[in-house]
Amino acid sequence: MRRITFLLLFLCLAATTSFGGGYQVGLHSMRNIGMGLIGTSLSYDASSLFYNPGGAAFVNEKWSFSGGVSFLMARTTFQAKDVNYQAHLKHQINTPLYFYAAFKPTPNLSVGLAVNTPYGNGLSWGNDWKGRYLIQDLKFSAFTFQPTVSYKFKDIIGIGVGLVYAYGSVDLNKAIPLQGSTGDGTLNIKGSTGNFGFNAGLMVHPVKGLSIGVDYRSKIQMKVKGATATFTVPTSLKTLFPDNKVDVMLPLPANLDFGASYEFGQDKQWMIGINLCYVFWNTYDSLVFDFETKTSAVSRTATPALYENKLIPRIGVQYKLSDLITLRVGGYYDPSPVKDDYLNPQTPSMNQIGMTCGISIFPVKGLSIDAAFLYIMGSERSGTYSPDNFAGTYKNAVYNPGIGLTYNF
Amino acid sequence: MKKILFIILSFALFTACERKIDEFQVSKGNADFTRYIAVGNSMMAGYADGALYKTGQSYSIPNIIANQLQLAGSGKFVQPVVNSEFGVEFNGSGPRFVLGPSVACDGSVSLGPIPYIGARDPLQPVGYPVNNLGIPGAKSFHLFAPGYGNPAFLIPPVHANPYYFRFCSEPTNPNFMVIDEFPKLNPTFFTEWLGDNDVLSYAISGGVGDSITSPDFFGHVMSGVLQALTANGAKGVIANIPDITSIPFFTTIPYNGIVLTRQTLVDSVNYFMQNLFQLPFIYKLGPNPFLVADPTSTHPLFKVRMMKPGELVLLSVPQDSLKCYGMGIISRITYTPWGIPSQYVLTEDEINNIKEATVSYNQLIKGLADAYEIGMVDMNSKLVELQKGIIWDGVSMNTKFVTGGAFSLDGIHLNPRGCAVAANYFIDAINKQYGSTIPQVDITAYPGVIYP
Repeated sequence: MRRITFLLLFLCLAATTSFGGGYQVGLHSMRNIGMGLIGTSLSYDASSLFYNPGGAAFVNEKWSFSGGVSFLMARTTFQAKDVNYQAHLKHQINTPLYFYAAFKPTPNLSVGLAVNTPYGNGLSWGNDWKGRYLIQDLKFSAFTFQPTVSYKFKDIIGIGVGLVYAYGSVDLNKAIPLQGSTGDGTLNIKGSTGNFGFNAGLMVHPVKGLSIGVDYRSKIQMKVKGATATFTVPTSLKTLFPDNKVDVMLPLPANLDFGASYEFGQDKQWMIGINLCYVFWNTYDSLVFDFETKTSAVSRTATPALYENKLIPRIGVQYKLSDLITLRVGGYYDPSPVKDDYLNPQTPSMNQIGMTCGISIFPVKGLSIDAAFLYIMGSERSGTYSPDNFAGTYKNAVYNPGIGLTYNF
Repeated sequence: MKKILFIILSFALFTACERKIDEFQVSKGNADFTRYIAVGNSMMAGYADGALYKTGQSYSIPNIIANQLQLAGSGKFVQPVVNSEFGVEFNGSGPRFVLGPSVACDGSVSLGPIPYIGARDPLQPVGYPVNNLGIPGAKSFHLFAPGYGNPAFLIPPVHANPYYFRFCSEPTNPNFMVIDEFPKLNPTFFTEWLGDNDVLSYAISGGVGDSITSPDFFGHVMSGVLQALTANGAKGVIANIPDITSIPFFTTIPYNGIVLTRQTLVDSVNYFMQNLFQLPFIYKLGPNPFLVADPTSTHPLFKVRMMKPGELVLLSVPQDSLKCYGMGIISRITYTPWGIPSQYVLTEDEINNIKEATVSYNQLIKGLADAYEIGMVDMNSKLVELQKGIIWDGVSMNTKFVTGGAFSLDGIHLNPRGCAVAANYFIDAINKQYGSTIPQVDITAYPGVIYP
């Protein structure tokens, strides 16, 4: 059977959805999503370019294409501490995308391009909620474009490296506690930027059926130079809050992933895989806004985040029901990188348990329709964003159906 | 496969509902909030921006507290409603202030409090019993003053209070006292914040136009008030007295506001002072202390001295005189030294008098709170915290005038957001004393300073 076709390969990427640990998104291939978001030791299609470039050369077919989209829906409720006040995140659907294309000019060499959205966050609490001076709404996403080469020695060791170009954009609104006759002042920041990083991986097939992979994706420092900052304040304060440019710094953290998977059973019907994904979150020390035109009211501000490095364990199982259908199931535990006293409604991060299932259907040889569903269990967390003394309890759940296509030939 | 997709999608839709968190659980503990009354002065009345006006009154601390107590079984809380946004009309009432551009004598325009004038409520009884017995201007012992709400005593020599006249239940009875209201209202719960004026009236007069209530008398009176309040078993909380010398009315104008920017100017001022006036004052480049009237000076002609660090200039000082006419240094009319008149300054001794009395009052209040087994709000500590700067939900507040965000434009009373914070302190004290769980208020829902 053309096992190559399926399976996920994939990933690990730390993390989570925009509501998991921080602002990393782990939704990069439906097959991987179905198996608990594992992927470092898998090499079944072009998504290996992202999950482990060392695995791309193990894809057997000359051509491999894979693309898809997730429909990420977070439901979050906030209960203020000591106050009978609740707020709900506005319903919205974020749509992380992926597209991978790989080509093998020789049997041992693979070249390809990976395009996906490994980082992002999008939420809206509304304009008038209690935490509006911290955040009203936020849209942040980073697309990465990763040209990659992968080479395998015999059928045992594969290495690969990709150059990563990340293009990020940010659009955020928050209220300012200076009131005029029409209410609070506001600040909008909008801008985009790009920067480079790399993705390098190694895959080993020591014995038949066993695959082990290690992948490292570097940190990418996103520095938005000269984003547009628009203040809406009472007329009498306009000189203190001039229309402005602002530099925004947000690091995309490095990831070190380790994965192992084993195929067994008749015709290798079964596969089980694990991943350990270590995210170097401590690079996210603070969110820095540095305004170009400085006044007594507007200068450089650093909003402390003080994230902590975290290890995410993942597990996934695959079962080939027939040549037509493959089923997957998985789960993971995603510990929050955010400390209790820095829990911020900008990224209401919680420890969470993700449960996944997925299916691939092969209508014709080499082509599969892949679907997956991720459910992140409603966890509940109390904390305070102490720099702003904003305290309360958050509870969330994330529903993420997604669909994609893979074609290997 | 379509079937499977369908199942997946319906699962998504089915489960895509809000996450439920338990709502705040309100309970009254061992207190009974059925009939709640508030006793005090302007701080409780909802006085702000130099006047008792409609909106300010609606954000009074007791009204904010009452809204929360109503979640735990409290009845309607009635205030002696002012219908005008400009205040109440009577002899001596000042204008309400709003923030606006004000043109100084030197032509400079700055943002500051400007009078907001319009038709005010005529002074007349509201005609219904009220729960908010906050009386602007009342000192502790005024609650025992016979006829304090009697209109006959509103003509000189005044010993009644026009604000109390508005809601006094027996205004024509010459012997009726504020404490006589209590049995009529039969409260089950009270908040009391009284006694600020026992030092504040003195302080606002620059220490020359009023006196500080002696702590002995204060203790006696406060004990009497609590006795009257608790006579039928009512429970409550009492707030102590903050150090009023740290509020913006006293801290906005620096003691050393004479700023000399050129050496030639420094030289000529020194020449005038030392050689012509024979005054031993030495001026330097940069900020120099104001001169203040000093009746004890031994100088034959000029009874002035330099202000000392820590001494305070009141916000009521005539600003044009300071800015353009040489008050605090040399008069531009007579070209002689011109000290700031005593009624606009708190000297070291006067400040000490205020601080000592406040410490004594607060010891007495603590003792009384313990004796009557009622809760206490430590407003004194809370104002110290505010002075250093506090933050709630991303709103920074401190004791700076206007920009501090907590005080109203008179520099003495809190604005609605400041009142909401103070109300939360009361609610914390209630919960602590009576084991209740009354929710705090969301301070971001209350307006702060309104900028034009």
